[in-house]
Amino acid sequence: MFPARIREYHRPSSIAEALSVIARENVGEAIFLAGGQSAMQAIKSRMLQPDCIVDLQAVDEIRGIRQADGALEIGAMTRYVDIAENGALDGPFAALRDAASRVGDRQVRNRGTIGGSMCWNYVASCMPTAVLGLGGVCHLVSLKGERSVPADDFFQGPLTTAREDGELLSAIRFAAPAKRSGSAYRKWGLVTDSLPVVGVCVNVSLDGGGRCTAVRVSLTGLPDGAQRSTSAEEALLNSNCEPEVLRSAMNAAADNVDAQSDDSASADYRRQLIRTLGAEVAQLAVDRAKH
Amino acid sequence: MKTITVTVNGVAYEETVPERMLLVDFLREQLVLTGTHVGCTYEGVCGACTIHLDGEAVKSCLMLAVQADGHSITTIEGLAADELTPLQQAFIDNHGLQCGFCTAGVLMNMSEFLEKNPNPSDDDIRHGLIGNLCRCTGYVHIVKAVRAAAAVGQ
Amino acid sequence: MNENLTKDSTKWFGARMPRKEDRRLVTGKGKYIADFVLPGMLHAVFVRSEVAHARIRGIDTSEAMAMPGVVAVYTGESIKSQMKSMTQKVLIPNLPAQYPEYWALAAGTVKYHGEPVALVVARDKYVAVDAAEAVAVDYEELPVVLDAEAALKPGATVIHDDATSNEIFAMTFTGGGTVEEQNENDAEVEKIFREADVVVSERFKVHRTGVTPLEPRGVLCDWSEADGLTAWITTQRPHIDRLALIDILDIPPEKVRVVTPRDMGGAFGIKAPFYRENVVIAHAARELGRPVRWIESRYECQMNVGQERDQVNYMEVAANKDGELLAVRNRGIANVGVGLVGVYWGFVMPFLGAIELPNAYTWRKGDVKLRCAVTNKTSNTPSRAFGNYPTRFALERAIDMAARKIGMEPAEVRRKNIIPELPYTSVTNDFYDSGDFIKVWDNLMAQIDLAEFRKEQVAARKEGRYLGIGFSCGVELSGVASELMVPMENQPGYGSATVRVEPRGALLIFCGDAPSGQGHETTTAQAAASVLGIDPGDVVTTTGDTGTTPFGSGSIGARYGAVGVSAVAKACEQIKAKMVRVLAHDMEIKAETKDFEFKNGEIVYLHDSTKRKAFKDVAERIIMSPINLPEGEDGGLETTAFFESDKPMICFNADCCILEVKPETGEWKIKRWVTSEDVGNVINPMVVDGQMHGAIVHGLSNAIFEEYVYDEQGQQLSADFEHYKIATAADVPDFEITYASTPCPHTPLGTRGIGEGRPASVSGALTNALCDALEPFGVEITELPIRPSRLWKKVQEAKVG
Repeated sequence: MFPARIREYHRPSSIAEALSVIARENVGEAIFLAGGQSAMQAIKSRMLQPDCIVDLQAVDEIRGIRQADGALEIGAMTRYVDIAENGALDGPFAALRDAASRVGDRQVRNRGTIGGSMCWNYVASCMPTAVLGLGGVCHLVSLKGERSVPADDFFQGPLTTAREDGELLSAIRFAAPAKRSGSAYRKWGLVTDSLPVVGVCVNVSLDGGGRCTAVRVSLTGLPDGAQRSTSAEEALLNSNCEPEVLRSAMNAAADNVDAQSDDSASADYRRQLIRTLGAEVAQLAVDRAKH
Repeated sequence: MKTITVTVNGVAYEETVPERMLLVDFLREQLVLTGTHVGCTYEGVCGACTIHLDGEAVKSCLMLAVQADGHSITTIEGLAADELTPLQQAFIDNHGLQCGFCTAGVLMNMSEFLEKNPNPSDDDIRHGLIGNLCRCTGYVHIVKAVRAAAAVGQ
Repeated sequence: MNENLTKDSTKWFGARMPRKEDRRLVTGKGKYIADFVLPGMLHAVFVRSEVAHARIRGIDTSEAMAMPGVVAVYTGESIKSQMKSMTQKVLIPNLPAQYPEYWALAAGTVKYHGEPVALVVARDKYVAVDAAEAVAVDYEELPVVLDAEAALKPGATVIHDDATSNEIFAMTFTGGGTVEEQNENDAEVEKIFREADVVVSERFKVHRTGVTPLEPRGVLCDWSEADGLTAWITTQRPHIDRLALIDILDIPPEKVRVVTPRDMGGAFGIKAPFYRENVVIAHAARELGRPVRWIESRYECQMNVGQERDQVNYMEVAANKDGELLAVRNRGIANVGVGLVGVYWGFVMPFLGAIELPNAYTWRKGDVKLRCAVTNKTSNTPSRAFGNYPTRFALERAIDMAARKIGMEPAEVRRKNIIPELPYTSVTNDFYDSGDFIKVWDNLMAQIDLAEFRKEQVAARKEGRYLGIGFSCGVELSGVASELMVPMENQPGYGSATVRVEPRGALLIFCGDAPSGQGHETTTAQAAASVLGIDPGDVVTTTGDTGTTPFGSGSIGARYGAVGVSAVAKACEQIKAKMVRVLAHDMEIKAETKDFEFKNGEIVYLHDSTKRKAFKDVAERIIMSPINLPEGEDGGLETTAFFESDKPMICFNADCCILEVKPETGEWKIKRWVTSEDVGNVINPMVVDGQMHGAIVHGLSNAIFEEYVYDEQGQQLSADFEHYKIATAADVPDFEITYASTPCPHTPLGTRGIGEGRPASVSGALTNALCDALEPFGVEITELPIRPSRLWKKVQEAKVG
């Protein structure tokens, strides 16, 4: 109901300050707080009992959307609403907007952040899936230095990422996409915009003839969280991306996925959603690539 | 304990709060602004606690009071200056509330929603209301009230 | 002033008047239980059982007690001797059932996940939560019983030590009062089934779901030497709660006052029982000599209240090939949880559901039986559509199945069998007082073009699209007459109101019930204004305070429109009559009430309109200058009236759902939801419309999204709104509510109580539409919840089979 006792609250105004505060405190019991739309649930239910909170809201360096020569960098503290409303994120980056515009509800989107979502890496979540689908690279900083971790290596399982204690996710970077690229993300939940029972992201690049030259497909809502579907990718690569091909690629994705049955849906239904929703998402990505 | 300065409904406060105190409890109990309500426990799903933080609708139950230091908050008590806003009047005219428990949260959310979406469709309104659970109205009159407010310009 | 309001006071009745409640509520000035603060108030948090069934070996409160700011910790054993058990006569129905003894705090054993075991009282509510976590309870776990049918099997663990079995209640509702009569009836029913052209026999199951008002419960108690106990409780029935507190805590009646806060954030039935928490908080306040407040968290609320509907119905319908419904036979098995809830004991809801099972149809005969089983789940609590939700689902589905077997339109079968004339007594001896069901049904059918729809449906199927249409209806309670209320809840069914005229002409009205959003302040003012010809702005209504209001059983069972506002009207008529007696005397004319018109704040003699006087002047004359009164007349202008209906009264509704299904995902979209209602005379159409919308969404949300889930150890897994999903605005459609009302001949204003039973017919219309859409696949829905994943699976199974 109410948080356990919190001894310290800090609000650093720079990356350097944030890192030194975390290092100074016992890092095992101090946490970074981003938008709090997931972390505060855990803190209030006492699943998390941080001794010290380092609030990142004033670290302006890690907020903002920057595009240069087609490459994209999104600061970790960028809110869902700012991603959702950024008109420049279309075509190849549209999956990011698709995902960000449907997380939770508009109050959550006014506060929650892409970095928070990625570091939380809940097993059924939208932003990690979209980032994985777009092949984002996570930029981590610590007192020891900086490193870049591709999304494939960053997401390591439910609630687990490559980020170590004392490291701060500062930004997610996306290489300039090829011409004629498009991406899309959609999810299915029992109530509108609820946590994804299944979510699908498709990211394609086409050549002049409409043939697929590059593709990434990612899924969420499954026991291992955000993951790639190599079956779908293999089926799509070098294909003509016609509707039957898209359908059969998503059928392959469904057949090869490890899905669970729970109160939300059976494993079979999850697979069916991957087929049907996946085909829609793939078509949308292809249509966006063609424009 | 921490001392924070926060402006609420245009009034500047300097208050001392425990680090773990939720923003919604600070508003309701320390500032005695009880118009903002608590309808769920830790999950932050019901939306009855919605307020404006620097003009944007957020859930005050998912924030700590210390996070509001240096910021400006508007609660339902501060939505209107003297006269009711067109949105509040629209809710009265269109029976957009019954028990009233979700209403403050709905009004705070919808007032910001209408600023960004001055000409919403019913689908837009319904989508905008996902973060406000209501058990009494079935949402029909709420949507009607928001539509009516949009028509007169908020 | 809003231009909707008019100066013509005869227009108040039926006016779309904006509510008096709203101004304070849209500006954040409402006062709900959590807004009440008293000087020196302490905060209470309950420690609750973490297991479903166990013996309490011991409770260690030492760590909690040692925390700074903690004032007291109470356990079941520590307080038991200072109070009576919760099993008191005032809280027990006049029905033959088992009523196990239980205590305000669990003493000895816990029987469901969430049962209150201890109370922590502290100066700060955060500290109270810390301390509650530090209370260590040593449990010796016992076998858990979770399924009703399993609980009823011989050899099952009996949950209550002082019960002979887990069958807390069982009854036969048809045939007569004696076993011989019932056996004879059952044999006749069996004969009908054997000879019928068409028989439908199915097992229907409805899941555990119910209501979740946005405001959970709360209790604030304050003791003083002089005034005794004042208890502010989120209760629908303050007068009953007061009696229970008197009995359980042995307090002199004149020293107890219960107040329902004027603003209550919804109730829908869960605030109707008398709860253990009331007793524990009152006890703590008495012991500590300080006000003590408990505000329930959503988590606690999900763990302890709001669960109902969990029922299996083995239902059979016999019909002949002309479409006549002949007989209905049902074996209901209700899972009532532990059943330890004051007034209701878990089983009163299914009891009423069995009585109301025959719905709006003529049956030659019926055989309706019910068994209620206790299990290690939270006790069932009343939930809007009290008892009717599972049986309406079953019957409306069974009727569609029968129609399909006969080869007739389900709408036609309903029309053919709808009760053609009222009053009517059903095969379960349920009395329907008035109404024109045929008119309501025909009005529904006039809103749609069934023949046209069938053409569209055929064309759509050729394109691989699946449209469906489904119907249902519901006869629901309009108040609960004493004839039913006394046996069912050991309480009276009358409505009550005190009307006090002020010397300046305003009206203060005091009603014994406690609403939670139904707009009673407004509709009461409209009703009084229409009778006395004054402005509703001059009428103030007080509810919920036992210190100032006349006795009433509470805001339950749609009482207000039936008997509550009727008592107000009756009192106003008495006031009117007295004013006429005095005025006629003053005017020196011989006249009766009907010779005067009360309008626009004046009382005017109809036969000579120069003879008129302002309402407020007549009031002042009677109250402040009571000299030269007519012989035998006293001064003063205040009266209390009780309104009773001799026989139970009803309201009626019919639903039609039109939707489209996508078989490849089981998803559907409702394209139209049309209703036809008999709500009697309407005081405020906006209020009634709002009641319908809320009830239909409730019915849909229960049917599709909401479910209380328990695991095999009896752990409840749906204690927050992430897991217990509730319909948002984006999940439900708009509704077309239409009316074909018949004024109720038994109430002074012709009003009916409405809105309570309304969700009951919703799941039938929805699932009938889904089955109609998927008829090519032969899908039949016999279980709720119905979700895309389940519908998809049914389509898959049908394709294979």
